Amino acid sequence: MKRVVALMALLAASAGAAAEVNFITCPVYRDTDNGRKSGCWLGEDPASGIRYDITQSAAKPDWNFAVLVEGRVAASPDDPCGGAVLDPVRVSILLDQPCTRHMIPAEGFKGRKYVLPKRNIDPLSVVRAKPQPPFATRSFRLFFDWNSDFIAYQREDHSLDMAIAWIRGAPVRSLTVTGYAATTPFNVSGQAMAEEKGMGQIRADHVAEALYRLGIPKAKIVTRNGGDGGVIADALADDLPQASRRRVEIVAEVAE
Amino acid sequence: MTLRAVALALGALLAIGAAKAPERWWSPGEGRVFPAQLTYPNADGELGLVLTGGAMPTRGHPFFEPLGPDGRACVTCHQPADSMSLSVASVQERWIATKGRDPLFAAYDGSNCPGLPQGERASHSLLLDHGLIRVERAWPVAGTDMSVEVVRDPTRCNSGEYGPEKGKISVYRRPRPVANMKYLLAMGFAYDPKAGMPLPLDPETGQPVSGNLMADGRALTLKIQMEDAAATHLRMVRHLTPQQIAQITDFEMRIYSAQVKGPHGMLNAGGAKGGPQTLADSIPGQLGSISNQPNSVSGPVWSEFAAWEKDDPALPEAERAFRKSVARGARVFREKMFLISDSAGINSPVGFGNPVRNSCVFCHNMTQMGNDVAPGQVDLGTTTLPFADPQPDLPLFRITCRGKPHPHYGRTILTHDPGYALTTGKCADVGKITLQSNRGLAARAPYFSNGMAKDLRGIIDYYDRRYSIGYTEQDKQDLVNLMRAL
Repeated sequence: MKRVVALMALLAASAGAAAEVNFITCPVYRDTDNGRKSGCWLGEDPASGIRYDITQSAAKPDWNFAVLVEGRVAASPDDPCGGAVLDPVRVSILLDQPCTRHMIPAEGFKGRKYVLPKRNIDPLSVVRAKPQPPFATRSFRLFFDWNSDFIAYQREDHSLDMAIAWIRGAPVRSLTVTGYAATTPFNVSGQAMAEEKGMGQIRADHVAEALYRLGIPKAKIVTRNGGDGGVIADALADDLPQASRRRVEIVAEVAE
Repeated sequence: MTLRAVALALGALLAIGAAKAPERWWSPGEGRVFPAQLTYPNADGELGLVLTGGAMPTRGHPFFEPLGPDGRACVTCHQPADSMSLSVASVQERWIATKGRDPLFAAYDGSNCPGLPQGERASHSLLLDHGLIRVERAWPVAGTDMSVEVVRDPTRCNSGEYGPEKGKISVYRRPRPVANMKYLLAMGFAYDPKAGMPLPLDPETGQPVSGNLMADGRALTLKIQMEDAAATHLRMVRHLTPQQIAQITDFEMRIYSAQVKGPHGMLNAGGAKGGPQTLADSIPGQLGSISNQPNSVSGPVWSEFAAWEKDDPALPEAERAFRKSVARGARVFREKMFLISDSAGINSPVGFGNPVRNSCVFCHNMTQMGNDVAPGQVDLGTTTLPFADPQPDLPLFRITCRGKPHPHYGRTILTHDPGYALTTGKCADVGKITLQSNRGLAARAPYFSNGMAKDLRGIIDYYDRRYSIGYTEQDKQDLVNLMRAL
């Protein structure tokens, strides 16, 4: 039955060109064992009753809290976990919404064998490529989970690593770090979701501190709160509209 | 031969005997020469120490000379025979040998509390029974989001003139090994995934640091650590001089320590690469949790014993069985998966998920050392209820999170030692203790920062309970044998 529901979701996605799926739910952990990090995460959209496989999110759920799920149904018919696969997908833990933890057995599902994600950063021993002239003002973006300034592991740290490699190698005169937040409410699973107005500044300050730790003098960095910057199209946000609202933009101005 | 001549000959023989079996205990100011290689027998074989660059006179050396009013030196709590840490067996031997007058038992931190009657054994029970040194931290720290109350104060060092009302908190911890430092200082990656930030910076130079020193991470560099230790454990009034700091740093960067001989032979025999020389020769900071990690030059964690996976029927049965057990233990360490849950630093806020399936090597991931390549502040529950074993001898604190609740414990937390939170002031860091080296274990029982595991089996049993791992008896024996060989 579950496989039928998953198939229905896939068909619906195909018909609708993989529309964005947003919902809030209590996550379920399926205890599949296909080696390290092979457990499955499932979440049911309360509106449709469809159980989705949300495991492909770089940041995984915590079984004690509800999650905000943002994703698209994957084109692949694979069903390793027992749910319609969302990929891309982002999961934000909602620490103010506790859940009853729930773990279910593998029930024949194999889960996924772990592979290093594409956005895995290199060790320090790997020399980064130096940027080549001519240099012009350039911007970089980091994206964040809901109500969070945490630079996500194997996702946003990779973006930061790319940015700092360029900034270190270019004649950068100043950095303007602008934080944005989803302060305009949007409705998800019957909840009007809005981030605090100060979250943009918190994100900007956090990224500025990260840049400082990476060797950029504080005097070169200016931070500002950009408020709600709205939706943008960016592959680094997996082209998920709502997720794209939660970002920091680093503008690196080069010396002439 | 006259009686006098016999007496002189006997005296000479005794002197030779004494030279062959030097005292295990290094007292401050002895002036011995620290040899380039040194071994000490223990119940599991022999501990080996290697001092790269050759022997070193300790006369006048600040690591070995008494520097404060109590007559202590660094070596008091970092004994070569105890893998540069301090075993409870050594503590008990010193208590008996000196009737409690060794500088080790100084009132400031070698007793449960300075105000207790110092001549009584009971006043030093945490050191004598658990190998614990008192660590006094200033409280509160700037920017804290939590409050601390004392629930239980069996040592009487968290109330009265001590305790939070007086701006102090006393916790009790095992001395960490001062050896194999290049591994603890190594930086494998530029980022700390547990903090979602680049590595912390040395406040003096502005350069990134590993974040792997000290249980509560209060000192980011060796220099800051030794200044902290000089002012507290040695009770020095004056600062260490730059020359003294340089001398201590030089020694600490040259000294390597590991078990070199097991119960059935050398640990670098039969193709294995155990012992301290391998540590001295190898590149630190290699992520060994993944066997095919790009750019790795050292292989998976504990692959030093991979050659022992191949059976050697020519060996005596006991040695053959031990080697096979150690090799199996290395695999269990890397490959036995279990669900890790509710452990800050792993399950939050990194993004691995809560729970996450992985093995010991998930955190103990640095090849050859078993510490964390990333800054290793993790809450395994060893100091915090409900996961910690009952420890009625230790103080108990109630932490109240004033801002966001702790992601796993909620708003109120009971702990024997808030750990990293005493440095950051953050409720989310309560119970986090920096992972340490897994080397020289056989020489330095008991284990965990609070001495909760009295032997190697106790470590395995704790993890088995904490994470419902389901180790078989064979798994447990193999893991213990692996640790005997480290």
